[in-house]
Amino acid sequence: MMTAIGILGRSLIDMLLSIRSTAWFAAQVIVRLFGLRTYNSASRTVFINQFYFTSVQILPLFLLVAAVFGSLVNGMAFQVIKDLGLQDYLGRLLMGFVVTEVAPFMTVLLIALRSSSAINTEIAVMKVNRELNTLDIFNIDRIDYLFVPRILNGMLSMIFLSSLFSQIVLAIGLFVSSAIFGTSVDAYIDTLLQSASLLDIVIVLFKCAAFGFFITLIPIRQGLNASRELTSIPIAVLNGMVKVFLAIIVIEVLSSILRFI
Amino acid sequence: MRLFDNEEDLQKELQGFIAANRTRLGFVSLEAPLISNLDIWSNIALIRQYHQNMPRSEARALAEDLLRRLGMMSITEKRNPGLTTEERFCAMLLRAAMVRDAILVLDRPFGILTNLRNGRFIMEILRKVDDLIAEIHIFDYSWEKARYGGEDDAES
Repeated sequence: MMTAIGILGRSLIDMLLSIRSTAWFAAQVIVRLFGLRTYNSASRTVFINQFYFTSVQILPLFLLVAAVFGSLVNGMAFQVIKDLGLQDYLGRLLMGFVVTEVAPFMTVLLIALRSSSAINTEIAVMKVNRELNTLDIFNIDRIDYLFVPRILNGMLSMIFLSSLFSQIVLAIGLFVSSAIFGTSVDAYIDTLLQSASLLDIVIVLFKCAAFGFFITLIPIRQGLNASRELTSIPIAVLNGMVKVFLAIIVIEVLSSILRFI
Repeated sequence: MRLFDNEEDLQKELQGFIAANRTRLGFVSLEAPLISNLDIWSNIALIRQYHQNMPRSEARALAEDLLRRLGMMSITEKRNPGLTTEERFCAMLLRAAMVRDAILVLDRPFGILTNLRNGRFIMEILRKVDDLIAEIHIFDYSWEKARYGGEDDAES
């Protein structure tokens, strides 16, 4: 019994220490995010490259997923609405569910699967190869040069791609709506605008930024936990991706609580 | 040139030297490898881009000029794993020379240039970038002295 309590206590302490160190790291990054000196020529180059890798290279896959998913969601939702005679709730469904819930969630999944794992591996490999040591020797600040551009890119890419996802799904919704209900473009846009709430949009923007922040910050931190051995790379990536998944769930739950209280 | 009989003494002296000259240190060592996800020109340009906020295009032109000076234009777009030992050494040397008023430290250069019998190549390359460097210090083991041609002072 005492052993079980001991193990439980140790796990709890480890978890709290991990959260504390992540929070401290996050605070350091946030301070640098607002520092003008952070954005020198080298950091800007990293940011541009990262934005290209995250937001541009992914576009063909992203557009395909958004189109397929948008068609499925719209097709099913509109049919149900028609069967139940709930046409009045069409706008609420699209703005309250697709734009604020589905789009950020699908976007964060795609970015996490692609970019978070890449960042985690990249930082772990740099640690193993002693390339982080190179930066230290040449007085190049890791946070300014490596971390801030990746995290800022994560936040901006999340907002950009989530907006794009919403627009594609809503555009498909227009076609489906006109096919099923015979809705005109004006009526469709009017319905969406009437259902849009400023608070929802603010919350969804914060949610996207929080997703972007944590799905890049956590892989960086876990990558830094790699040792000098090659075998530590897959362990660092595995731990990082599990924690990214947990962070996504926590942010999703917290944003839902904020929206519905 | 500073020669040591064992690794412990070398490391102790080297760490002290690094700490004393941190702001102007241009370090060429296996302990400071090239960054593998950057092209060679980016590795060289990085120092000026970061410390002097030099625009990317200007820093690239400078890196290309220096590579041309060493006859290494072919490695401009390459990455670290694709380099020969001589090419890697030159890239590391140029990166170190990008530090303003660089105090260049060559840490056991034959650890990088594993296929060379003597230090002629090193001295030749150093002469070509002499104008970029304020001081040169070579840290190595005493039994490597013969490979440098018996020279006690690299600056000579």
